[in-house]
Amino acid sequence: MKTKKASNIAAKVADKLGAWMLIILISVVMLFASDKFLTLDNLLNVVRQIAVVCIGAIGVSFVILGGGFDLSTGMIATFAGCNAAIFMKNLGWNMVIAIVVAVLIGVVIGTVNGTLITFLRIPPFICTLGMQYIVQGLIFVITKSVPITGLPDSFLVIGRGYIGDLIPVPMIIMLAFVILGHVLLKYTVFGRSVIAVGENETAAKLSGLNVNLIKVAMYSFCGFCVSCAGIVLASRLSSGQPASGADLSLQAIAAVYIGGTFKGSIINTLAGALVWGLMNNALNLMNVNAYWQKVALGIIIIVAVLFDTFRAKLATKSSD
Amino acid sequence: MEDILRLRGINKAFPGVKALTDVDLTIRKGEVHALVGENGAGKSTLMKIISGAYKKDSGTVWFDGKEVENTTPKQSEQMGISIIYQELNLIERVSVAENVFIGRYPLRGGLVQWGKMVKDAQALFDEYELKIDAKRLVRSLTMAQKQMVEIIKAVSINAKVIIMDEPTSSLSGKETESLFRIIEKLKANGVAVVFITHRLDEIFAICDRMTVLRDGHYVGEKNISEITKSEMIAMMIGRELTQQYPERHNEIGEVTLEVKNISDGGKHVDNVSFAAHRGEVLGFYGLVGAGRTETMRMVFGVDPRVGGQVFLHGKEINLKNPRDAIRHGIGFITENRRDEGLFLRSSVRVNTVMVALHKILKHGMISYKEEARVSQDYVDKLRTATPSVNQKAMFLSGGNQQKVVLAKWLFSDSEVIIFDEPTRGIDVGARREIYQLINDLVAGGRTVVVVSSDMEEIMGISDRILVMYEGNIAGEVQKKDFSQSLITEYAVGERTQTV
Repeated sequence: MKTKKASNIAAKVADKLGAWMLIILISVVMLFASDKFLTLDNLLNVVRQIAVVCIGAIGVSFVILGGGFDLSTGMIATFAGCNAAIFMKNLGWNMVIAIVVAVLIGVVIGTVNGTLITFLRIPPFICTLGMQYIVQGLIFVITKSVPITGLPDSFLVIGRGYIGDLIPVPMIIMLAFVILGHVLLKYTVFGRSVIAVGENETAAKLSGLNVNLIKVAMYSFCGFCVSCAGIVLASRLSSGQPASGADLSLQAIAAVYIGGTFKGSIINTLAGALVWGLMNNALNLMNVNAYWQKVALGIIIIVAVLFDTFRAKLATKSSD
Repeated sequence: MEDILRLRGINKAFPGVKALTDVDLTIRKGEVHALVGENGAGKSTLMKIISGAYKKDSGTVWFDGKEVENTTPKQSEQMGISIIYQELNLIERVSVAENVFIGRYPLRGGLVQWGKMVKDAQALFDEYELKIDAKRLVRSLTMAQKQMVEIIKAVSINAKVIIMDEPTSSLSGKETESLFRIIEKLKANGVAVVFITHRLDEIFAICDRMTVLRDGHYVGEKNISEITKSEMIAMMIGRELTQQYPERHNEIGEVTLEVKNISDGGKHVDNVSFAAHRGEVLGFYGLVGAGRTETMRMVFGVDPRVGGQVFLHGKEINLKNPRDAIRHGIGFITENRRDEGLFLRSSVRVNTVMVALHKILKHGMISYKEEARVSQDYVDKLRTATPSVNQKAMFLSGGNQQKVVLAKWLFSDSEVIIFDEPTRGIDVGARREIYQLINDLVAGGRTVVVVSSDMEEIMGISDRILVMYEGNIAGEVQKKDFSQSLITEYAVGERTQTV
């Protein structure tokens, strides 16, 4: 009986910790493997690297929690970065206006996604796959496939700046988005409704929720987050790069699944992004060949989700 | 005549329910045999035992003179028993011929002989004088034609017994006639047909003999030529009313909910009107498929209505979706608790406040303290058995899940609460608690509408019963006139009242 109790506690702890267990695991291993790992510089570097993915993944979290899917986020992000760059460089707009308009365009694209999926009943996977190509095409049209460089210094602070020579600005932005996402999800009617729609759309409708509006709104919010991520990315690259965000869609989805966000917390998305960043960093520090790094990251996604299924099973068993 | 299928002493129990007790059934070669009984009499369970979908607990089955042990559905089919469910089992996107020969495609050298398959299928349709092109896709056929395809499929595997579960429920008068012609032809070819229906006229039109079930018991077997309709009804009812219903202290007041001529265009509901009063439990009885649930779904704004008006306290309300209904104080407890009523993976507290989230907001933000207080309050009030309000809804028993659903409508201040099959899947002890809660609701001045297919329940808890038959209100029965025979006569269409 005693061992059963112990395993129950272990299961509960594992269930609570989730992806943070992976973070602890990687950290402990790296503590022994490399003396460069546990330095402030290195860890801040990791956070700086995951900021863009994490900001985008906050938006993607809402879509996935709401029972949807979005493949177009990488391109929406790139589009926002390129648009802002063009507005500032070619049209000479004020930086704030350029950013606001670029982000609004992203919100509109997200809203179009949501509208097509909700009202015309196109499966989210297909709809956003199509949207990905549409936006990619538009990016090439407006940039002629040439990076837009020579952006004002004030813009570069967003992605490259430090506060007090120590805290990276993108980290501050990322934390702001984590808090925003967390509050929205936990403490607002919108967040509650997204989870309800994702869990049981029929019951949500019969409970009087405006299911259609919620579904559109979650894609709009996703468009907002990934566009902001795109701005940070453009600033970090000091340019509007037409090919920069290609991998972002899938990285954001990976962060959501690795983090186990479906359990209903945005903090898990942050954990998912951190696992991703730490894993990259660890492999770099251990001088693993870049090609093999891809293989390792792929395995991490599968293992993380497998681990989650296992945890869910344990948790169900122990509460019986 | 020789017996083709004989069942003796069949017993079947599900957790908490005895579905069949010592049931006998004898089907002769080439006869049309009606299987009759009210909702929940055990017809479907018996059919599923014959088809191999369920395993009997005890009893003996002889088929074609030989005793058969438990079989799988596939073995039953090979033996010669085909079953045609109300929900047809066809693949919509492929051709008629493929559906007929599915799993038995004519092969040569491992390749399907498409030409031969279409020709063979067409020959069968021609033999039965059916104008269906075997090359057409199933999805382009009408409901009646699809049913014919199922029958031909049964014929093509040399079925000796074909069971049809309410085959006429979705057919027009003309289509029913042509179905009867095919049944006659099957009969002439020596195939026995088991015909499940609740339309007594059809039994007299096509059947030779009948077996009546009641509450899972065998009541008797009769030749149709030797029985009258009223004798038939007398055999179907006569259920013992054993359960005690808690006493009620309610005062029936003014009309709260009034529905006038609501209709879905005649699909399931045709010009239904009724009025429910403050402090009243209004019961809706009818056989499965009579249109009760469909009526309530329109009243709640889930399904669009083609015509009709809904009034609350004499004022017409504009109902476009459930939100409108909820805003006006209508709550709906669906028959399908797990799929439509609850968020199973969410906690009791989340489920409790879902309809009225605005009531737990503090400065525009959800107050977790308030949520815990409110949900704990309802757990105490409704005596919901749960370790805590944080428990996920899926771990609760049926009765306690129902209480959680009720809590969410109570918290949203519903004045009119519609219960669709309030005790389905709930064990006897918990049922009594639900009845007590319904009593408390009307004692507190709310209006309760109960849809139930359980005769005992509807008579036990209603102050007044409306009986529906094929999309219409067939009759209204006041509490002093409650009797099983009167209600059943309305429910099977043998009696109608002009309201």
